[in-house]
Amino acid sequence: MALQRLFAVALLLACAALAVMAWPYQAAFSYEPVGPRAYPLLMLGLMGAGLSYLAVRPAAIVHSDEEPPMDRATLLKIGACVVLLLVFAGTFEPLGFIPASMLAGIPMARLYGGRWLPSAVVVSLMSVGLYLLFDKAMDVPLPLGLLDVLEN
Amino acid sequence: MDTFSYLGQGFGVALSPYNLVTALCGTLIGTVVGLLPGLGPINGVALLIPIAFALGLPPESALILLAAVYLGCEYGGRISSILLNIPGEASTVMTTLDGYPMARQGLAGVALSLSAWSSFIGALIATCGMVLFAPLLAKWAIAFGPAEYFVLMVFAIVCLGGMAGDRPLKTFIAALIGLFLSSVGIDANSGVYRFTGDNVHLADGIQFVVLVLGLFSISEILLLLEKTHRGQEAVKATGRMMFNVKEAASVFAVNIRCGLLGFIMGVLPGAGATLASAVAYMTEKRLAGATGTFGQGDKRGLAAPETAIGASACGALVPMLTLGVPGSGTTAVMIGALSLYNITPGPLLFQQQPDIVWGLIASLFIANVMLVILNIPMIRVFTRILAVPNWALVPVIAIITGIGVYAVHATTFDLFLMVGIGIFGYILRKLDFPLSPVLLGFILGGLMEQNLRRALSISNGALDILWSSPITFGVWVLTAVMLTVPLLRLWRKRTKARRALAAA
Repeated sequence: MALQRLFAVALLLACAALAVMAWPYQAAFSYEPVGPRAYPLLMLGLMGAGLSYLAVRPAAIVHSDEEPPMDRATLLKIGACVVLLLVFAGTFEPLGFIPASMLAGIPMARLYGGRWLPSAVVVSLMSVGLYLLFDKAMDVPLPLGLLDVLEN
Repeated sequence: MDTFSYLGQGFGVALSPYNLVTALCGTLIGTVVGLLPGLGPINGVALLIPIAFALGLPPESALILLAAVYLGCEYGGRISSILLNIPGEASTVMTTLDGYPMARQGLAGVALSLSAWSSFIGALIATCGMVLFAPLLAKWAIAFGPAEYFVLMVFAIVCLGGMAGDRPLKTFIAALIGLFLSSVGIDANSGVYRFTGDNVHLADGIQFVVLVLGLFSISEILLLLEKTHRGQEAVKATGRMMFNVKEAASVFAVNIRCGLLGFIMGVLPGAGATLASAVAYMTEKRLAGATGTFGQGDKRGLAAPETAIGASACGALVPMLTLGVPGSGTTAVMIGALSLYNITPGPLLFQQQPDIVWGLIASLFIANVMLVILNIPMIRVFTRILAVPNWALVPVIAIITGIGVYAVHATTFDLFLMVGIGIFGYILRKLDFPLSPVLLGFILGGLMEQNLRRALSISNGALDILWSSPITFGVWVLTAVMLTVPLLRLWRKRTKARRALAAA
């Protein structure tokens, strides 16, 4: 409940900020009666109305049996997973596809309960395999990065 | 009989060796993707969009590939719900009710092939319906102007909330988030940069594939971290793989009824496969009465939801192809794919590019037949995939998602955006917001704004163009009805609760 209120209020504030951002949007010269700011403002207004209702009277969340309530360990794991995804995104171009996916993928496999050696083997093989499959066989260009030297 | 000659032409397109191989690859990839936890039809189709584009497939082949992947994913989801009792997505929840007990009784192969057969009949009925009604609807839709389209899209969004049932407000908010996100980027009419924050990468707007993969794949990866069950043993598919004539005949009436029901539900925007399968199961359970063993492995209980899912999946293509208004998450993804190819679905598509429309319809037939045939030799291979543990699977899914996103524009900004959207999607999910309305809103948003502005340009700013024509007025009335449905349901629940309180 409290979380839902917090979320509704946060999103409401975001709506307000975006509406302020949208206010000066005006076409320099225009042939049509509706300018570029009417539609976003309409959507933000409707969203704001819905969110205010939700903030005042949050709906109950039904928990299924599979989902245990959040605890500290799960939150830490999720935080770690997000960091790994960001590392993947950040190193994708500078290091190249294969090193980046190994760097992010092996610890990620550990997060999901794999042991070091099998994780390392599976992720390394898959990242090389996926590189060959996508870059060589399917013409999706992927950065080589550090391994650029091997190309020539 | 123009329609039949067009359909013949469509089969000509779909049966060309190149497209047959495409459809075969699509069904195989789709089945595997549907099997894996965390990947459903929506992200399966979205992942393949940039790849189909990079491969340089011609538009009709790309669309056939995506349709085949879609059907394959639905089938793959069935395997995990029958053998593992884990529904891959919301629409297959009903399949587990009788499918898993059947598998436990040693009829796993029969259950799988019977479900494929039911889905095939459902798709067949829906495809026939599509062949009959789609050209009529397309002819009628040509009379639609921008005002009519705008109202129709409002109706589609409202339907989504009205049909969703238990949480209409959250569905509306989710749809509004999507509608708003579509306005990010440069405004085509005036050249104003909206909400880009001077970021060059956002000038083009949020890329559709990035949004889909972030919302669905990344949030699912995060969600998988907290699932308690892992490494559940799949029921072994041994013994007879194929259903026999008697079994097929015993569910034939169910197939026909649920096929018609599923088609109608599929055409309605917002209803979709989830609702169709639930309604079909409940109806058949009531019809069977005391003779049924629903919940303990009744064949009718398996056939009913599967037929309805198959029929509604094809039925959902009707509004998408004729009006250009998607009714479900997956058709929204397909519209996204079409717009990459610069094809605008709508009434004119039937006249201008009959190859694409009828080729797609014909390939749906073919992909369904392929699935029934593939099922028999491949089922053992597929069940082995189910045994792959999460620790090996999830990093690979994450990496492939990254490739899919990177393939669109080749910028790392998109990768960061994907992670951000993924976290947002995860929070939405945890707070019980449905995600597919966000996607649908995102697709409809751009169309909606364009049509609204065009309509008001025609009327020179007078708002009454939005309700003056008979079509717009009629659609507004339907919209009002749809808006009252959740309120009515709420009111009925309250009076019931009050009465129960008074009785106690």
